[in-house]
Amino acid sequence: MTKLTRRAVLAGATAAALSPLAASRTLHAAAPAAGKQAPGFYRYKVGQFECISVNDGARTFPMPEGFVRNVPREQALAAAEAAYMPKGMVTVPFNPQIINTGSKLVLIDAGFGPTPNAPIGLLTANMAAAGIDPKAIDIVVISHLHPDHTNGIKTAEGALVFPNAEIKVPAQDWAFWMSDENMAKANNDMMKGYFANTRKVYAGLADKVTKYDWGKEVTPGITALEAAGHTPGHTAFAVASGSARVLVQSDVTNIPELFLRHPDWHVAFDVDPQKAAETRHKFYDMAAAEKALVVGFHFTFPSIGYVEKDGAGYRLVPAAWNPTL
Amino acid sequence: MTEFTRRRLLTGAAAAAAAAPFAAGLSARAAAPPAGAQAPGFYRYKVGSFEVTVVTDGVNRFKLPDDFVANAKKEEVNAALAAAHMEQDVFVGPYNPIVVNTGQKLVVIDTGTGEAAFTASKGANGQFLANLAAAGIDAKAVDAVIISHFHGDHVNGLLKADNSLAFPNAEVLVPAGELKFWMDDGEMSRAPKGRMEGLFKNNRRVFAGEVMKRLRTYEGGKEVVSGITAVGTHGHSASHNSHIVASGASKVYVQADVTHVPFLFARNPGWHAFYDQDPAMAEATRRKVYDMLVAEKMLVQGFHYPFPSLAYVEKSGTGYREIAVPWNPTI
Repeated sequence: MTKLTRRAVLAGATAAALSPLAASRTLHAAAPAAGKQAPGFYRYKVGQFECISVNDGARTFPMPEGFVRNVPREQALAAAEAAYMPKGMVTVPFNPQIINTGSKLVLIDAGFGPTPNAPIGLLTANMAAAGIDPKAIDIVVISHLHPDHTNGIKTAEGALVFPNAEIKVPAQDWAFWMSDENMAKANNDMMKGYFANTRKVYAGLADKVTKYDWGKEVTPGITALEAAGHTPGHTAFAVASGSARVLVQSDVTNIPELFLRHPDWHVAFDVDPQKAAETRHKFYDMAAAEKALVVGFHFTFPSIGYVEKDGAGYRLVPAAWNPTL
Repeated sequence: MTEFTRRRLLTGAAAAAAAAPFAAGLSARAAAPPAGAQAPGFYRYKVGSFEVTVVTDGVNRFKLPDDFVANAKKEEVNAALAAAHMEQDVFVGPYNPIVVNTGQKLVVIDTGTGEAAFTASKGANGQFLANLAAAGIDAKAVDAVIISHFHGDHVNGLLKADNSLAFPNAEVLVPAGELKFWMDDGEMSRAPKGRMEGLFKNNRRVFAGEVMKRLRTYEGGKEVVSGITAVGTHGHSASHNSHIVASGASKVYVQADVTHVPFLFARNPGWHAFYDQDPAMAEATRRKVYDMLVAEKMLVQGFHYPFPSLAYVEKSGTGYREIAVPWNPTI
């Protein structure tokens, strides 16, 4: 094949740009590059419900020491590299879901919120691309009170992003993160940061927030499932309409490339890693046995797939993009 | 902890259905109307300084024919579909043309089933021009259309529903061997009735008039457009070609139909799709190309891969497995 070097390409491009003769030979100038990704939203039906996976962005960053607590960094990096992540790096995507039940427009998790100069906090822009007005959201359901799930309920100025929505939080998580006693016991910067963040985000909202319990519907068709470990009140959801349903796993696993392949690895963000791993096995043994469709907040967009057992772990099989609905 | 059981979940759903009219009555205002349509199907990525846009043409969905794979039983094909979590007895084949902006040329590689197919398929395919517009790409700005081979899902999009040119300012670049084969009256006279006969007729319909005025042939192993090199990957069609898009140190292998859908034919490279003209040659090509993709860890863009149809390939059992590239929200 013809050897193409960057230099040759650049030289060619420069020559073309400088040469009026070359330009006059073509019918028109080359089309400009778009330089921008397609909007990150994807629709799927669950029975009568119309759902939208809405991307809040993705972060690619050098994998810190301790990202996986219980294996050496080299081993975690090897798994990331085996998943074709850039050498030394890890990529974590973020995908809130919108469920239109026909009677309620429900947002499950709210993303990071406005984050200048970062490839995250894209939720409202992608919602706009999908034609969804934040004012039309009836209920915001938060799976757990971590910043990437909850901060998006407020603007940078502290106003409500979804002004007409009831905000529903897991009762157990609220009790844990709002406890002064627990905050006093926080013994590392990460935990201290989470406590401070929760108080900041929910300042002035205590009266507006509704707590929900596991095993019950947060709204007809969406049932809260206990999935504790990642945080004390971490919640997954079953979204069901007619005979169809999907499981919204929230953070039962962080990125599947590491923590589904290796379900006993502990991601740095787990409050109770051992319990999180037990929940993960239980949840995914069930999902694999039932061939359930699973939506993962940290799966790559559109973040919908099936999970199968593979050796000692699990493998995510992304659902094929459906170009119709 | 709450048991994750099917019974519990179904109970929840039934309760929801029973409670729904009451719940609706309590709602403060009418619920937002459903959109009823999918997001526009395009996805961008960089190859060096080139910008590639994958633009889906949609999918074809049909009842699985008994002889879909010539050398495998229907039960085996259904088992492979089940392993891919796909519906039994139904085949869903995606179509994904791409657009490459080299900075100097705007190039389309393969054109989909054509605008006329949109109505005929009730919107399932024939979406290419609509998704191209959604991506902000003006069909009039396309400088070149590269055709991999002369099957309808690759060439029919050269024409709009009214038979005018879909890309009026573009050169049409076709494999010399494909043009020769499909325009040869002797070959046509020897073509088996049915699918092959239909392909000859279709190609003579498409490759006529204004298309022929813009036609230029290319050879495998040569650069077709600066930065895009053809590779002869014969078998699926007489002179089927793939393309390597390369800029700087980056490249992607645009495989066209070296495999049809990966969940059947990458997983089972020895299976002969009924689309393959010379199945034995197609299989040999497939194994050679896929062994290369695995060894070089080269990105592959697959026309019949599920959108956005960009993946790495690994060996898996007796075949290969594609690992879809994660969606990049920025580019």
